Amino acid sequence: MKRASGFRLSLTGIALLIPLALFIIVVFLAQYAWPAIGFNGIRFIGTIDWSLGNLYMNPVTVRGYSVPLGANYGILAFIVGTLLSSFLALLFALPVAVGTAIFLAEAAPDRLRPALSMLVELVAVVPSVVFGLWGIYVLAPLISHYIGPGITAVFGFIPFFNIHNSTGSGFGLLAAAIVLALMITPIIATTLYDALRQVPRELRESAVALGATRFEVVTKTMLPTVRVTLVGGVVLGLGRALGETMAVLMVSGGALNYLPKTIFTPISTMAAFILSQLDSALSDPTGMAVKSLAEIALVLFVITLAVNALARVIVRGATLVRNV
Amino acid sequence: MSATFEAVPTKRSSLERRRMITSAIGWALCGLAFLLVAIPLLDLVLTILIKGASAFSITLFTTSSNGVKGGLLAAIVGTAVLSLGSLVFAVPIGVGAGMYLSEYGQNRLGSVIRFLSDTLTGMPSVVLGYFSYITMVIGFGWQFSALAGSITLAIMIVPYLARITELSLQRVPVSMREAAFALGARERTVAFNVVLSAGLPGVVTGVLLGLAISVGETAPLIYTAGWSNYVWNGKFIHQPIGYLTYVIWTFIDQPYKSAHALAFAAALLVMLVVLAINIGVRIVLRPKI
Amino acid sequence: MRSDAKLRRSTLLRAAAAAALVAGLGMGVAQAAGVSLVETGSSLLYPLFNIWVPHFEKAYPGVKVTTQSTGSGAGIAQAISGVVQIGASDAYMSDQQIKQNPDILNIPLAISAQAINYNLPGLNDKHLKFSGPVLAGIYTGKITKWNDPAIEKLNPGVKLPDHQIIPVHRTDGSGDTFIFSQYLDFSTPSWANTVGYGTTVSWPAVQGGLGANGNPGMVEALKQNPYAIAYIGVSFYKEVAQAHLGKAMLLNKAGKFVLPTAKTISAAADELVGKTPADERISLVFAPGAMSYPIINYEYAIVNSKQKDAATAKAVKDLLTWASNQGNSESYLKQVEFKALPAAVKKLSAEQIAKISG
Repeated sequence: MKRASGFRLSLTGIALLIPLALFIIVVFLAQYAWPAIGFNGIRFIGTIDWSLGNLYMNPVTVRGYSVPLGANYGILAFIVGTLLSSFLALLFALPVAVGTAIFLAEAAPDRLRPALSMLVELVAVVPSVVFGLWGIYVLAPLISHYIGPGITAVFGFIPFFNIHNSTGSGFGLLAAAIVLALMITPIIATTLYDALRQVPRELRESAVALGATRFEVVTKTMLPTVRVTLVGGVVLGLGRALGETMAVLMVSGGALNYLPKTIFTPISTMAAFILSQLDSALSDPTGMAVKSLAEIALVLFVITLAVNALARVIVRGATLVRNV
Repeated sequence: MSATFEAVPTKRSSLERRRMITSAIGWALCGLAFLLVAIPLLDLVLTILIKGASAFSITLFTTSSNGVKGGLLAAIVGTAVLSLGSLVFAVPIGVGAGMYLSEYGQNRLGSVIRFLSDTLTGMPSVVLGYFSYITMVIGFGWQFSALAGSITLAIMIVPYLARITELSLQRVPVSMREAAFALGARERTVAFNVVLSAGLPGVVTGVLLGLAISVGETAPLIYTAGWSNYVWNGKFIHQPIGYLTYVIWTFIDQPYKSAHALAFAAALLVMLVVLAINIGVRIVLRPKI
Repeated sequence: MRSDAKLRRSTLLRAAAAAALVAGLGMGVAQAAGVSLVETGSSLLYPLFNIWVPHFEKAYPGVKVTTQSTGSGAGIAQAISGVVQIGASDAYMSDQQIKQNPDILNIPLAISAQAINYNLPGLNDKHLKFSGPVLAGIYTGKITKWNDPAIEKLNPGVKLPDHQIIPVHRTDGSGDTFIFSQYLDFSTPSWANTVGYGTTVSWPAVQGGLGANGNPGMVEALKQNPYAIAYIGVSFYKEVAQAHLGKAMLLNKAGKFVLPTAKTISAAADELVGKTPADERISLVFAPGAMSYPIINYEYAIVNSKQKDAATAKAVKDLLTWASNQGNSESYLKQVEFKALPAAVKKLSAEQIAKISG
């Protein structure tokens, strides 16, 4: 075997910088959060109560760690907020994305198709903070004045959907879910759209020959073949939703220490909470608060890692199945 | 008997009618779905356009913000410095990694690198900014600085550059490489003069898209770049720097009309750059790939 | 050959970019002859600092001051870590923080106050009366409705609506939270035993309670949410008035209800400023005296006595000296309804400022 050229080696070295960066970040976070992991234990993900304690009294020693008096770090409320908002967003995004992909692939006039598909792609590149701006200015008042009462009128008998059980400000779970849905719909839609366009013509033609309407051709024959790509796209979108920070921070209402009773109640997500609490946490002289925030970051990273790994496994597994 | 069949109006069975109605409803729903995506985007763009344009004037571009009023000069310069600065780090590493993956990366090591690179894109930007705050701003003692901000942005966009570069270079036909090798070229010559040259439009697309992402980012910069009301003075460390997304993020919270106007104006500028790059790339460069 | 030309062109481009960068740096270095200071922190002090900066820079050209509104918690933390030169805070540092950071000075620049504002449709022009215990009840969720007997007792004759109260608190590390929670702590034993005071406190879970970022966020939250109540620094009195929000009368230590006016703020200050220690860390909340307004405080500049170089140290000293003297003139302070430092306190501040070196 010819010895690898110097060029190839240096290129390999450059490519290895990427995993190296990832490694450094994760290892650093883990070792930084280690005291917090020890102090918090499993109660970290099981308790709703997040309290920095009394920062103006002298710290006390609890279980061998120096922490402020009364400090207790529980992130269950943020985990619930993150999962609820992301899954709700997926619930909105999935049908809309599928419908959009079908529309673009089959129903859009040929001449308009490039422009319309570009329109959908452009939704994905809007910066998060601009979505947040629009959310504050347009979406929250819309929820408060129209969408909220509308949902209450139809589903109000279910307490979860009744706006009168909340403060009705428009900033809350629903706003966060809608904004997230807008961000992840293009991801799912464009993945699905590309897949739909690659469905072999024979499949379509045979369905037509059997007397299917055009719509049935799409739903009953084409969609099942791209199921796997759809799942992969959904999981990718989920990964993005879990880590979103700015837009969610601006419209979610910033709740603390309670779980949402309605869809209109304020929530906090893990990513948004880390950003909004850093300054407060820095005022903790024992440093345990900042380390607990680092622990949240670690938990969030592990969750997004698992979701992204799942996406790859699904897609690769399906490719294997298809090639067998 | 005629060779062509007369169209005989058949009576549709109820099943058939139901299927046709379902299909019609289906198409309508698909159109509705598309509108549910298109309309918010158009509303967003229009809102920012209208509210942002009302703040436009010459002074917006010539003065810097002071507290809650003024112009956006410092922020504009800052965004340019931070984003272009991030490219300085991201392009060599990202394009290099992409080149490695496409040319020599069809092996175990390559797929591991690919997986970890994808994982890096899944890292929430706030986690990255937080890491940079502790290591670079405090640990290295750089304090709020353009360098810390640029490096953080670079870490964010390198995986995208690598992926797009790899995809673009892979499309270059193998025969071109083989022809070059047959002529006795070294690996470096093949990589740069043959493969990279042929795949350049795709690589440039990736760089531009990375630039668009970096212009719109906020969370990685809040604790690394800091904020400054003054135009960047050329210092890379020990000097905070302003940027447009900060204006959007903080000024909208201030209860002053002037602050809101600045927030929208900044949003308009950011959107113009992001949309211009994305639309331009799709119209001009994509067909060439 | 095409590739040769391309290579040459790209090399030329790279060289041009490098040259531009060097030229820019050269220009930058020439400009960097002045000193840049960064002030961050209290959103309560932010409006005043913005008013001060242009006048200060005219008096001291060559010093550039950037202001930021990030909350007192950030002001303290970033002054301690050294990423900013001046941290503005409505709260003084805790004993533990001082122990860990003995070089950090807390220097008062002015006396400010905090109002309790609310948004009650139809009642915003009335000054409703509140006491510490009632506010504590609202913020712990024990008092949930506006027409609760406890509130009605304080406001006889006022028709209060039968609606849920929306208490708004600060989500960022906030000096306003600090003085508000001190008012509750000093006046309500049950609050003192459970929640305490600080720049952040563990807000009891109140369904529907909102979090807001900065004083401006508090104003916006009130504007957008009828039936909400919030604690807002007086420097935002203009925005509160423009939004037609209500302002409360608070029960002071002597048992009287007072509004935050120049007279009541002065009365409270006169009672307590004489007790200011040399390191100037003292709470002015819940002062005795019939006319005293219960929520007033020093606005602190949190500064490291060891600055990075002599030029920065001089700039910081100039800014702090200017702020506590010229900056304390009525023309500036009345724009934010603050009160000037008494002469004795100015002397203490000057002594602390003298400790700054680079």
